[in-house]
Amino acid sequence: MKLSSVDFYLDWPVSIKLKNLREFITVNLEKKGDVIRWSIVDIQNSIDSFGTKKLRIKGVLAN
Amino acid sequence: MEISPTIFIVPTGIGCEVGGFAGDALPTAKLLASASGCLITHPNVMNGGTLSEKDNNIFYVEGYSLDRFAKGEIALKWVKHQKVGIIFDSAIESEILVRHLQVADACVSTLGINVHSYVVTKKPLNVIIDSDSSKISGGTIENPDTLIDAGKRLIDKGVTAIAIVAKFPDDSDSSETNIYREGKGVDPISGVEAVISHLISKFLKVPCAHAPALNPIALNKNLDPRAAAEEIGYTFLPSVLIGLSNAPNIVDLPTKHELFSLHPDQIESIVVPNGALGGEAVLASIEKGLNIISVKNKNTLKVTNEFYNYPNLFEVNNYLEAAGIILAIKKGINLKSIKRPLKKIQKISNND
Repeated sequence: MKLSSVDFYLDWPVSIKLKNLREFITVNLEKKGDVIRWSIVDIQNSIDSFGTKKLRIKGVLAN
Repeated sequence: MEISPTIFIVPTGIGCEVGGFAGDALPTAKLLASASGCLITHPNVMNGGTLSEKDNNIFYVEGYSLDRFAKGEIALKWVKHQKVGIIFDSAIESEILVRHLQVADACVSTLGINVHSYVVTKKPLNVIIDSDSSKISGGTIENPDTLIDAGKRLIDKGVTAIAIVAKFPDDSDSSETNIYREGKGVDPISGVEAVISHLISKFLKVPCAHAPALNPIALNKNLDPRAAAEEIGYTFLPSVLIGLSNAPNIVDLPTKHELFSLHPDQIESIVVPNGALGGEAVLASIEKGLNIISVKNKNTLKVTNEFYNYPNLFEVNNYLEAAGIILAIKKGINLKSIKRPLKKIQKISNND
């Protein structure tokens, strides 16, 4: 097993409700590896006319 | 006894003014535990290097397991004592190892803790601290498999809770370390500490906590009181052993036969620093509609409710106010009844 740090941006579309946000993020993280640790470290409001927010995620994954 | 089970989180490595140092949120945890009657919190809150305390109202749960608890994946089972084993990183120098072993012996002889045995990893863990740890502490280890293997060896011998002691690079002269010691920055090693304990929680599902092994550092006369607990001994192991000595067992859900003391559905509130609403436990609490008590506690993050508009969030100025809100929740008192002005009740029209 190897560990790697990840630091990436993820668009949060308005179609994803707040109560589904955790699952939305973990599904995206699990595409990259087995999740050890993560959190949202920054959010930018409404980056387009649809109200999409931009999340910055930092974490550690195992592969 | 009336209780209002509450999760208390101070995220690791984001420089929180309260709780970002050496167990300096412990008095706050005792306050919130007293108010709620049942507090679930993590080692970062409770571990003050050489100093710590037990509190019968506090469940000591490692961060990864705490997130699982918030997600409803596990329950917690109170135990009278754990049989604690220690994993030592093979990179630790022999003199520092002896110091740690003497601490373990002292915890048996003076505190009556059941420290059962220890193992040394077959390979060094090789801690790597992220170079960009000035705002958020991060990093990894090169050899996670050797850590998990060491934990399995302890469990095979009957150990029920695991303390891990990893060798960290000697960076006592680094600017990050000195800024931290003077109470101004982010704990540069706490991010890797979290990774190490998360690995044990994830793969071995036992109570665990981590203490770093560091070489003694030079006296700093400008030391901040909040960092002082890490300067009064040779190791940080005592607080970890005290915390683990009766940390609750992890019970996977659903369970048909195993008893537990606290089910995640009993949780009513979560207390977190304002700006730190981006963690799994907070998002899981939002899914369940729990009360979030967001406390002004200066840190490096700005993930606030401005982006969520979550209705059950109470923003308060300090942990004394947070304790008051928990007491009101526990007693079933409408918070609006306490505040002024007090609005008249609303009429719902027949068309609503």
